[in-house]
Amino acid sequence: MNDTPPLSIVKYLRSFCMADNILTYLHIDEEGNLVAWGGYPRHYGLDNLAVGQAATEQLFFLEGMLPLEHSQILKFLALEGGQVAHIHLLPIRSSTWVLLFDASQAHDQQQEMQQQLNELSILSYRQSRMLQDLEETRHKLLEEKQKLAEANKLKGEFIAGLSHELRTPLSSIVGYTKLLDESPAAKEQMSNYLGTVQNNAEQLLGLIDNVLDQARLDSNSVEIKPVTCHVRKLLDNLKQLFFPMAREKRLNFQINISLNTPDHIQIDELHLRQILINLMTNALKFTHEGEVSVNVSWAANTFYFSVKDSGPGIDKAQQEKIFKAFHRSENTQHVQGAGLGLSISYRLVEQMGGKLEVESSLGQGATFHGQVYAPQAQNLSIDHMLEKSQPQDNIHDPAATQIQVSDEPKKATILLAEDSRGIRMLMELYIQEGGYQVLSVEDGEAAVQLALAEQPDLILMDMQMPVLDGFHAVEQLRSKGCVTPIIALSASHIDLDKQQALSVGCNDYLIKPIELQTLLTTLKRFLEPS
Amino acid sequence: MIQKKICMIGDFSVGKTSSVARFVKQSFSEKYLTTVGVKIDTKMVELPNQEQVKLILWDIAGNNALTTATASYLRGAAGYLLVVDGTRLPTWHSAVNLQNMVQEQIGEKPFLALLNKADLVNQWELTQEELNPQLQQGWKMIKTSAKTGLGIEKAFSYLAEQMV
Repeated sequence: MNDTPPLSIVKYLRSFCMADNILTYLHIDEEGNLVAWGGYPRHYGLDNLAVGQAATEQLFFLEGMLPLEHSQILKFLALEGGQVAHIHLLPIRSSTWVLLFDASQAHDQQQEMQQQLNELSILSYRQSRMLQDLEETRHKLLEEKQKLAEANKLKGEFIAGLSHELRTPLSSIVGYTKLLDESPAAKEQMSNYLGTVQNNAEQLLGLIDNVLDQARLDSNSVEIKPVTCHVRKLLDNLKQLFFPMAREKRLNFQINISLNTPDHIQIDELHLRQILINLMTNALKFTHEGEVSVNVSWAANTFYFSVKDSGPGIDKAQQEKIFKAFHRSENTQHVQGAGLGLSISYRLVEQMGGKLEVESSLGQGATFHGQVYAPQAQNLSIDHMLEKSQPQDNIHDPAATQIQVSDEPKKATILLAEDSRGIRMLMELYIQEGGYQVLSVEDGEAAVQLALAEQPDLILMDMQMPVLDGFHAVEQLRSKGCVTPIIALSASHIDLDKQQALSVGCNDYLIKPIELQTLLTTLKRFLEPS
Repeated sequence: MIQKKICMIGDFSVGKTSSVARFVKQSFSEKYLTTVGVKIDTKMVELPNQEQVKLILWDIAGNNALTTATASYLRGAAGYLLVVDGTRLPTWHSAVNLQNMVQEQIGEKPFLALLNKADLVNQWELTQEELNPQLQQGWKMIKTSAKTGLGIEKAFSYLAEQMV
């Protein structure tokens, strides 16, 4: 039995398949010319096929494809006319057969699916980017918020500190001026009073200058004006300015100038002087023994300076903050100042095209290194100089004595704890004026010791003092059973400070500057209640 | 007449089809229509030496890697354009990846990177730092915008010159 279908069936099947797939075939010889074609080439936009002509010039998709070694299928090939075909390239003997199957329907289906996938992918990418951006924005906002909170805190502390810094000298000035006005005093005493008034006025002026400088730097209105500066004269002048302070603290104080430093350089002398004064003031303020030395040198149009001290040193964490405005480290809270000197110096050096850095470790002193662009002034000779001052012996400041005892015994005894020498002297005068006996100390720790040992009738306690502040001193006294009335003395008019003072055990709170009458009335209220 | 096959390579939705449409038909559509398989177009260009070259442009479906199907489209290419969407950084990484794969497949051929969507430059994620390593390797790049036509003609002409 013969299973081969009759030719008519084969022809029918071929015709059916070709029509259904819109099959087109092309035969290309080994020379690359079109030999024959069949099916539906017009469906694919392949009009005017010319037998005997180069196939690649008629079928552009064949460019670079021939000759073939293996059969190849190009799926979903959209031809210029827009029709999509799967193209089968079949090398048979030395010729090539190209079969085109219509793939428009499958193409459209796949395109719809792929389109959705791609759009979804883009959407999801955009969404993740947006979330990332949002997260970054949130992070930035948080940082800004923290910065603002920090700035706000610093500003609050600055205002509180400034209030203290202004009120302390003001209270001294007001008090002494009143004394000068009201009571006849000996010439020497009058001179002392005036000296104190002058010192406090100068301190106030310096403070106001610093605040103004900071404001100018903030508004970028500081102008750098280089002039011809006589380096040695400037340093000589600074030496004279700081020598008394160094001598008083019995510190070894040196200003060293390297041999290569020219006599004259072009620099903003006024600001250089201000920078050096700020650095030297700090060094002398914080150093209680040892030395403070200033070293300057010059090379390659740059003026180098360093101020070294053997003070308490600055730990790494503080080093990052000390050049910020209003910053005061915890262990310098008791020291006079608004926390502006280093910030001003840092920014001035920057504006002068230089840099200021600190090198220090806790307990090892500190060195501030600075460098500023400063070319040598023309036609001026180089002079060599080395300056050195030695520590002075046997200089004793009676005011620095830790505990002073007044010798006018009368009625009640009042313990006065106050670190500012000017205020202390004034308050002692006021107390004595009221007819009371006075014991004075400079810090909270001494106040606690003396209060427990001497059991005074009343304690006047300054709240901002070195070693142990007033809050902690009162707390300690109350915890040790001391029931003596304690009156807080403070420059802060902030309610929170008053509440804190009362909550640790103070009986009253007086704000500086304190008038004689206010003080005496308050003392009387506690000491002579009847 | 000279005929040269150029392949458009790159991740999806970077603007390969739009670049070809701008070059061949001077048209642009805002609507995104993904390409499946490959689309063939031709354009005649004249080189500076006045020689006429027929460019057979194979606009291959976008992908971040080379698939078997894509690899079959590359056969016979005389050069290629790597298209990148400047507003999506990952498409640059895809281009770097694809370049290595294409070179492995068809050997060293002239190519040019099209940093597309230059009209949206304020939304670009692509930065100079990202481009530097490839620039140091000698990659040639051009900023293009299929939307405005910026750099498109220049890109194809440059590649045509390199291939002949």
